[in-house]
Order: sequence, then structure tokens, then C-alpha cells
Amino acid sequence: MNPLRVAAVFRRIVTQFRRDPRSLALLFVAPIAIIALLGWVLTSQQTMTARLAVVNESAGPAGQTVVARLQSVLEGQTGVALDRSVVDDSTARQMLKDKKLDLVVVLPPDFSLQNRKIELLTLGLNPTAEASILPSVQKALITAVADSAVGAALPTIERATIYGSPDATTLDTLAPVVVGFFVYFFVFVLTGISFLRERVGGTLERLLATPVSRAEIVLGYSLGFGFFATLQVTLVLAFVLARLQIPALGPVPAFAIGLGVRTAGNPLIAYLLVLVLALGAVSLGIFLSTFARSELQILEFIPLVIVPQGVLGGFFWPIDQLPGLLQPVARLLPVTYAIDGLRQVMIAGADLASGQVLLDLGVLAGIAAVFVVLAASTIRREVA
Amino acid sequence: MVTIPTPAPAVEAIALRKDFGEIRAVDGIDMNLPPGRIYGLLGPNGSGKTTLIRLLMGLAPATSGTVRVLGVEMPSRSNLSRIGYMTQSDGIYPELSVWENLTFFAALYGQTNKTELHRSLELVELDRRAGTPAMQLSGGMRRRLSMACALAHNPEVIFLDEPTVGVDPALRVQFWDHFHRLAAGGATLLVSSHVMDEADRCDELLFIRDGHVLAQGTPGELRTRAGTDNLETAFLSFAVGSAAAESKETAR
Repeated sequence: MNPLRVAAVFRRIVTQFRRDPRSLALLFVAPIAIIALLGWVLTSQQTMTARLAVVNESAGPAGQTVVARLQSVLEGQTGVALDRSVVDDSTARQMLKDKKLDLVVVLPPDFSLQNRKIELLTLGLNPTAEASILPSVQKALITAVADSAVGAALPTIERATIYGSPDATTLDTLAPVVVGFFVYFFVFVLTGISFLRERVGGTLERLLATPVSRAEIVLGYSLGFGFFATLQVTLVLAFVLARLQIPALGPVPAFAIGLGVRTAGNPLIAYLLVLVLALGAVSLGIFLSTFARSELQILEFIPLVIVPQGVLGGFFWPIDQLPGLLQPVARLLPVTYAIDGLRQVMIAGADLASGQVLLDLGVLAGIAAVFVVLAASTIRREVA
Repeated sequence: MVTIPTPAPAVEAIALRKDFGEIRAVDGIDMNLPPGRIYGLLGPNGSGKTTLIRLLMGLAPATSGTVRVLGVEMPSRSNLSRIGYMTQSDGIYPELSVWENLTFFAALYGQTNKTELHRSLELVELDRRAGTPAMQLSGGMRRRLSMACALAHNPEVIFLDEPTVGVDPALRVQFWDHFHRLAAGGATLLVSSHVMDEADRCDELLFIRDGHVLAQGTPGELRTRAGTDNLETAFLSFAVGSAAAESKETAR
């Protein structure tokens, strides 16, 4: 290993990139634009008013008391609009189908104080959206039933969380993860294309005719792209964590730059995780560039390499909730460990004393090492 | 009687063979090239010239046989610092300037002497273009830059794969003058070409076809042996001769 040769490769990568403003813009502007868009959508989501009706199918007095109580509680609640005109089951069902109602509370015919079974009826076309109405209704129900049941007060339910806060937004939990994912994505695509150009453009042939070793090439590449990954992570993390208020100036209204996401942990440890992830992506890009003949074919690897990691890596669904067969697959993916580590650090405030964070770092380093070896092994296997 | 000691060969190949699956690209080549001369590797496209050069440099593993360059068995990574290689494609980075390309390749060879690097740019008359990005150069300038990158570390053995393709006649003369200066300085050059009119500029020729060396000798010797003034005709007569010998062998 000759540091001068590694430095030469590193310097060349940096110079090449400086000459390519479009790729630089991609590296820095694109993730910020996408995260800003995500932040905008998640924080300023339209609050939908849920339209609902209460239908009483039971004949007993208990049902009537509960319905009256329920209606008054629901009317006092924000985000809920009660339609008192709907009273029978078939009208309510039809209005659900016509999308004039979002939810119907049904007291079944056998409803009594002893058999307090209540049905919450929704359309079932968009389970996620429908589920978002449920909490406010459930709360009203419990209040109503408890009030009407003599001596059978139900405990009130309060939300609490161990980490973060109950009112943490989706953005707060998603932002750290997005940072890791973007770095992986961009570093993979850019290294893949750069190295493909080396192979196709004849410069790799020429590199291999010099005394430079494969390890020196991979290391030089890693340093070069690690450098840009560092700048990218710094900028993106700053954008995610900071919030800078810009006062109104003339016709321009006041606005804020940055998302101001709350973080519990040390951004440096988060950065370390992302850097190890990026090193793996450099080697993966070099490795896969062997199997591509054009830039387009590098992009064709995205659905194969990047998208499954987004689906399985814990980005949207926890690994434990994946189907049994997919769980071991998810545990092979580097993004899985980066996402877990980033959540531990940025949401739970874990540091390097945490075994979980150390495990994530270790696995990421191991995966990176495997791909460094794979990448180095593909460098000489060239047929002119 | 005085015995003239034969100098150790600069490039030596023994029973060199390379198969790509079913295809035999290099078929048992022996060569012994004493230093300080220009050797022309002549043959049609697809005759195995590039593969042979890659085998001699240790860039591709041989199926069987041995290669020694400057007495060191190839492949040897450290020995590559004494070898120069100009590829058929330019093999330069279009985003980098002339100077950045040159210093990059020179650094990999361990050559960091700026004065020497400036001199090698002067030799190919690119010293005034040092700051120009390679993508803005003309085709001929790119060839010259490619050559400067191959020679910046003063190699003792130089492989040039079709160096004059796409180079105009005036520049081609300059290239050959430069090659002769290098040989006079003790370097050994192996220049591949499929253009026979360049052959006369070499000290010695190797006619290559189908992975075989058909004939080896100075341009004069080869003309005499073939009984013709035209090297192209000479090449064809050797090719026919080898085909006849081959069919006799199969018949037997």
C-alpha cells in the first residue's frame, strides 16, 4: 500500500467531481429538496374532518342513553363532524359507499349494559387513512359508555412513549432514516457510474498497467467518495436538525430554512454510521459496475439494489412485522442496520456505549469489508 | 576470436498461449527481443496483437507459457514501473486537464518531478495546453497526451498498441522520430500496427496472424526471404506458406 498512489486516486476523484457541477448539484441539492418536500407534506398535512354518524339498532333504554351521551361527546370533539340525520343502518351503509360518511358507530340489536359491544364501521378501501380517525372516536366511545354505566367506570386511556414524545411527528422519526438512505443511494449511483466509465473509457486498463494495486484503487475511491459523502451528510443533517428563521423582507414573507427535527443523540455518531454505510456503497458500486455495459444499466440496478432495501430495511415497517421468510433477507441488508442505528442514536439518544449501536456499526463495517473484497476481485477480471 | 555477449533480452516469451473459451487468441508464441530496438508487431485486425501485448504486460493471465520483461517474470506489479503502455483507446480522463491527467498517471508510477513532467509535455508539444480540459483537445492532441502519460516515468520497455491510429501524417513522422530517440537512449519499444507502410520504420518486425508469429526479422531480411520488395506481399506469402504447412500437418 503506497499512500502517494492512494492520494493520487483520491485527488483525481475530487478534481473530476469539481468539474462536473451537475453531479455535484445532484449530490447536495437533490436530497435537501426531497427531504424539504417530505417535511412539507408531513408537517402541513391537511387535517381532514371525519364525518360520522351514530346508528342505534338496539331497543333498550341503555342504548338510547349511550347514543345521546355519545353524540354530545362527539360534537364537542375537534376534527369530527357528526351527522345526526342518519339514524338507520342501511342509509348509513349507503352513505359510506357514496363517501358522504367516513365512519359509522353502530350499536347492535343486542346492545345492553351487560353486553357493551359497539361496532365501528368504515369503508375499508384505505385502511391507513381510516385508522387515523379511530382514536378520537374510540376515546369518545369509552367516555360515553363509562358515563352511562352505573358504577362501571372504565379507565381513561392516555398515550405515552418512552422515547421522543407522544406528539412527535412522522417527520421526526423519519428524517434520520432518510439521511442514511439518501447517502447510500447517491454514493452507489455515482461510484457505479464513475467506475463504469473507467472500465468503458479504457482508463482502468491503463490504471492496471501502472504499479497501483487494486486495494489502492478501492481505497482511493472510498476516500474520494467518502469526502463527498461527508459534505453531503453534513449539509443534509444540518438542514434536517437546524431551523433558521428568515424575517420578512419587503414583499417576501418570513420563512424558515431547515426542518428543526428534534434529535436526542450525538450527530457525530449518526455521521459515523452513515459514513460506514457509504463506504459499503462505494464498493457495491464498483462491484456492480462489472455487470453493466452502460450508464443506463447502472440505473437499472436501482430497482434491484436500492428499492428492496427501502421496502425491507425498516424504513416503513419494523423488521419484526415482516413476513417470516423476508426477515432473514432484511437482516442481510446494510440499510437495515443503518436505519436501526440512526433511530437508536437520533431518537433514543444512544451513544457508543450502547451495544445495539456497536452491533449496527460492526455489521455495517463487516458488510463494507465483504464488498471491498468483492470489488477488488472484479477489478482485474477484464477481457479486453 | 572475440565473442560478443548477447545482451539479456528485454522481452522474452516462452510457449505463450491464451485461450478465450474455444478461441485460441495466442497460440504458442516464443519471442526473444534484445533491448534498445524498435520492434513492429504487424498483423491484421483480430490477429492477437492486443492480447499478446496484454499477456506480455501481465494484464491478462496466460493459459500457459512464461513471460519475462527485463528479466522479471510477469505478472509483476512492481516491474510495471519500468514499463510504459499506450493503449489503443486514449485512456485519459476527459474532465481533467492535460496537466492533471499527466500528473495523475505519473504519480501512480512514482514520478513526481515537475521539471521532467514539463519536459514530457514539451516533447509532445502540449506544454501550451497544460490547463486545457482533455475533452476540448483534438483527436491528435489526445493521442499525444496519451503518449506523454505512457512515457512520463521514463520506462525501459514501452508497449504501444496502434499508437498512430487517427494521427495525421505530419504528426506520425514526429511520433516515429520520438520512438527512435527513445530507442537510441536504450529503451525497447514494441509497436503494434496493421499499417504496413509503418513497418519500414521499425528495426525488426514480427508478422502475426491467428495468434502465431509467421516470421521475424528486419524489414530487409523479410523482403529477401519472401523474394519481394513489398512488405504487404511478403506478409501474404508468409501467411500462405504457414497455411500450407498447417494443412500438411493436419493431412499427416
